[in-house]
Amino acid sequence: MGRLSHLLKLLTGPEDIGRSPLFWAAFVAVSIFLFVYPFWLTEFEVTNIAYYLLNVPIALGLGLLWGYCGVLSFGQVAYFGIAGYVYGIVAGNMIGEAAGPIIGSLCGLAVSALVAAIFGYFVFYGRVQSWIVPILTLVLTLLLETFLGQTAGYQWRIGSVQLGGYNGMTGIPAFRLGEYVVMGYRFYYYVLITVIMTYLCLRLLVNSRHGKVMLAIREDAIRAELLGYDIRARQLVVFVLAAILAGVSGLLYVQWGNYITPSQVGLLQASLPVIWVAVGGRESLLAVLLSTCALNWLNYTLSSEGYQYALIITGALLVAVMLFFPSGIVVALARDLPKRGLRALLHGGEGDAG
Amino acid sequence: MNEPILRTERLAKRFDGVVATNDVSISVPRGELRCIIGPNGAGKSTLFSLLCGIYRPDAGFVFLKGEDVTRLPAFRRVRRGLGLTFQTNRAFHRLSVRQNLSAVLQIDRADRPADAERRYRFALERFGLDPDSEMPAKELPHHKLQWLEIAMVLAAGPDIVLLDEPTAGMSTDETLQTGAVLKHLNASGLTIVVVEHDVAFVRDVAQRVTVVHQGRVFAEGTVDEITEHADVRRIYLGKV
Repeated sequence: MGRLSHLLKLLTGPEDIGRSPLFWAAFVAVSIFLFVYPFWLTEFEVTNIAYYLLNVPIALGLGLLWGYCGVLSFGQVAYFGIAGYVYGIVAGNMIGEAAGPIIGSLCGLAVSALVAAIFGYFVFYGRVQSWIVPILTLVLTLLLETFLGQTAGYQWRIGSVQLGGYNGMTGIPAFRLGEYVVMGYRFYYYVLITVIMTYLCLRLLVNSRHGKVMLAIREDAIRAELLGYDIRARQLVVFVLAAILAGVSGLLYVQWGNYITPSQVGLLQASLPVIWVAVGGRESLLAVLLSTCALNWLNYTLSSEGYQYALIITGALLVAVMLFFPSGIVVALARDLPKRGLRALLHGGEGDAG
Repeated sequence: MNEPILRTERLAKRFDGVVATNDVSISVPRGELRCIIGPNGAGKSTLFSLLCGIYRPDAGFVFLKGEDVTRLPAFRRVRRGLGLTFQTNRAFHRLSVRQNLSAVLQIDRADRPADAERRYRFALERFGLDPDSEMPAKELPHHKLQWLEIAMVLAAGPDIVLLDEPTAGMSTDETLQTGAVLKHLNASGLTIVVVEHDVAFVRDVAQRVTVVHQGRVFAEGTVDEITEHADVRRIYLGKV
């Protein structure tokens, strides 16, 4: 009981917007709605919605790393791609075995975490200056894209799986739990539960003791170190966690579409998580969650009008947000709306009295 | 316990050929309130950076409570009981007062001094800081921002604090208040080393004074000895 109330206290702690009972009532209501409304939709529509949602973990991971810990990674898609490819290789070689997708998922996340740990060790323990980190992370993902792009040909076969060069890897098995193949409606619920759990767990994290130290590191790493914190280790831990979350999105992506290409770790894709996070507001997990869903929906909807057009809109949105709401649209609204609403109420009250 | 809490041995640091710290050997006994004075550019802040581990010295040693910490990163020195405030205020300006203070209280040190909590509470009260305040630190008046950083350092439970010009930009009254708090903290057993320009403040608080000039220890003694020191008057006090 004590532990439960402690968890609740952490969950509703001060380090994210959306703390009022009203917010939590709305959160529960929206969650229930998301669980119920697929009954009125076709399987095709539900699968599309799952696609908007599956990018949330990578975005939340970047929000945590950039917005809460002050480390901008421009290469989160590297870990997205690594998890996706590793899953494809492992699960693809274990077709017919019930445990294949589970082992494949675990391997995908483990390799993402390992690569991030090695890369992050040199970056953070080498005390690389913070403005260089985005460049290094971007270089890593571009290297990965170049490497994967030249894997066309029969010699790039691992077991029975072809890496496939720029055409990518196809025929990646869907996730399955025993007899249950996770597709269609099931896949939607699988993604939805993953997204909600990820959000709630990260909210616990940012309100924990570790979360408070992250904020200090973001603001001034040297000052934080001189309060007794090993900033290298703490940044590394958050970096690896963000990579694992990117890996989760990568897994969901290949389990959703059953294919992956090197362009998934290319420059264009690398910029998208940064845009989702910046537009919503990097210093709020809730803002990142909302803007990622909204921008993926927007992108998907506009894509039917022509893909280039969709990208221009997304890019213009980023520029507009940086100019007018540097802290992000959702964060700016959450900060100003209650004040304005309250003021309007107060003025209304005065008017009545007069 | 005769081992000084902080001691350096022939400490040296140069930047691109400019000697910032040259052959500095100082020794601060436990429980002392020491002031370090010297003209601008004398190497006072560099010395602090060497003591706390922001810089590695080119030569020499730093001993904290008798242990050689010369090669230890800054956070390990802090965990051994060292605290430091910077010359330019480095409280977390964008965070609230609450966030600033709660960012510090997350470490449990086994050898935290028994008085640490009381000292911290005392400082909060005397500085008029509310640890639950959601006001962004940058909205505090200047002197309170200075005090906030001191309170943050105290929250970590140090045995010795290094304060780099804690009263810079404060009014006479605020400087006096700061001095009174420091003297009280010192009386409870906290060792304090202060870099300061304000001679009245130094006279008010210092038990001993070290004069640094051109990267070297130029003179050391009680306040009276130092103010009577002809050469010190010439290089430093005479200019004030």
